[in-house]
Amino acid sequence: MNTPAKILVVDDEMGIREGCRRVLGEEGYDIDLAEDGTVGLRRVQEKAYDLILVDLMMPGIGGLDLIKKIHEIDPEIILVVITGYATIETAVEATKRGAYDYLPKPFTPEALAVLVKRGIEKRELRLEAQRLHDEREQRLLELAGEKSRLRSIIGCMADGVLVTNLQRQLVLWNAAAVKMLRLSDTDEPGRLMDHCLKNRALIESLDRILGSKDESFSMIGQEIRTDDPKSVLMAQMAPVRDEHGRLLGAVTVIRDITNLKEIETIKSQFVSMVAHELRSPLAAIEGWLGVVLSGEAAGDEEQKRKWLLRAKERANSLLALVQDLLEINKIEAGKVAQKMESVQLTDMIGKIVEFFKPEAERQHVLLEMKPSVALPAIQADIQDMEKLFTNLVSNAIKYNVENGSVTIETSLDAHFVGIHIRDTGVGIAPADLPRIFDDFFRAETKRTKRISGTGLGLTIAKKIVDSHFGHIEVESQPDRGSTFSVYLPRKK
Amino acid sequence: MKASGKILLVDDDPDFLEMHTAVLQNHGYDVLTATSGQEGLERVRAEMPDLIILDLMMEKHDAGFSFSKTVKTDPLFRKIPILMVTSVAEATGFRFSLEEDGYWMKTDDFLDKPVMPEVLLERVDKLLRKRE
Repeated sequence: MNTPAKILVVDDEMGIREGCRRVLGEEGYDIDLAEDGTVGLRRVQEKAYDLILVDLMMPGIGGLDLIKKIHEIDPEIILVVITGYATIETAVEATKRGAYDYLPKPFTPEALAVLVKRGIEKRELRLEAQRLHDEREQRLLELAGEKSRLRSIIGCMADGVLVTNLQRQLVLWNAAAVKMLRLSDTDEPGRLMDHCLKNRALIESLDRILGSKDESFSMIGQEIRTDDPKSVLMAQMAPVRDEHGRLLGAVTVIRDITNLKEIETIKSQFVSMVAHELRSPLAAIEGWLGVVLSGEAAGDEEQKRKWLLRAKERANSLLALVQDLLEINKIEAGKVAQKMESVQLTDMIGKIVEFFKPEAERQHVLLEMKPSVALPAIQADIQDMEKLFTNLVSNAIKYNVENGSVTIETSLDAHFVGIHIRDTGVGIAPADLPRIFDDFFRAETKRTKRISGTGLGLTIAKKIVDSHFGHIEVESQPDRGSTFSVYLPRKK
Repeated sequence: MKASGKILLVDDDPDFLEMHTAVLQNHGYDVLTATSGQEGLERVRAEMPDLIILDLMMEKHDAGFSFSKTVKTDPLFRKIPILMVTSVAEATGFRFSLEEDGYWMKTDDFLDKPVMPEVLLERVDKLLRKRE
């Protein structure tokens, strides 16, 4: 003990008080004295004593009352009763009320020293016990806090978490796990996993982990499917071990990879579509070259030239296709490639119309710009806009009829500028309308069969409009014509 | 050597129609063409060709299959040999073969596009001979 134990002596006899001070002072204790109960009580309120010697018979507050009052202040203070009337009864009564022991008068200095020493030791033990108790309480509190923190963290995770113990019971899970695995009866922990889990494959894997004797066994990752045929989950399962490496249970983390799978499928479909679209013109080119090389023309130079021209045409269309694919890639790479600046659409479309005039004349189509309202400048990428309207005007001419027309009109409302490209062409069947913006989709009719195209023009148009936060609409009637309307946001 | 026979080409790619027409006509065959399965069937009924050269992928992806099935289950036309020409085989990562797919595909021979003139002529000649 670093600081000397603090002892108070409460006795109305001065001889006893001074005697105690002398004996206990020699033992190295810190001694205070009080001549009656009132003074004694005040001392106890002012200072934390380790041990108090109390005379039972005092005027004023009696010893028994004092014991009670002191213990109300600190129940761990060691109280030793001094009594002149060494009656067993009163002493027993005092110990009943919480006194540690008693010392009958008259007593020898040795008896006093021994008893006080014992009492102080008792006090130290009590304090130590109290400290341990407090510490434990604190630890438990922390543990409870930790547990609730852990629950909060696990609870708000988007991935599902599921913990099972060696008895195959569910002990911990979160809402995401309940939703993804459609867990049932999870109102309280401790249910068998076979009862709550519907998924056979998952149960089997968990059993493998729980039954594994191998200490190096670390993880199972597997794709699992639920009742919902569209959804695909990825489950990572691992053993939970204590600090000695003993198996305690298994933890499962579930991630919904449905979207990833979909993207994968779309990507592979796109790749196979592109491969096919590239192969067709290549096969035709090789075919024509083969015909020329195998000498089928038999010296007819004009014939040979014709066939080579056909090969060249297909090579051109292949080039256009690759160009369009690069274009799509550029748009999809995102806004990084976009350079937004002020664009006068009416002027730009006017130039595009001029450019297409000769082509329209060759096809006997009347191409006209009839802006019904003057459009304000908008913020857009010039190259994107040129590509967009080139595609739409070119389509309107390509899919037109002899002596048909293409008219470009404008409109304006509070939020959008509108450009309407109206043709009198072959039109689009209602069944095909929803698919016209799909990659490589080409509406096929007898009249469109001879028109070459990559099937990507409208895909690109839509992607450009989308990337500018606008929208594109189409109205069409077969054999009557189509109107493509582009709406782009006005400059704020 | 001048061969003879009436050959129907069914293909939706105008390049291949023209290419094969040129080669076959050069070698003395009469050539009919059709750009869809429907048109092809009409020409089969009207002209009774000696051989049909068919592209597998036409307007719909199974048009070639249904065309050959219609021809091969018709008692009048089932004897007409069909040479299937296709570009799907390698693109889809598998090859058709007579042994494995001949039964349900109901055609007499397969070739991958593009077909070189010598190969086309050799197969056509073989199929027509077999018929005689």
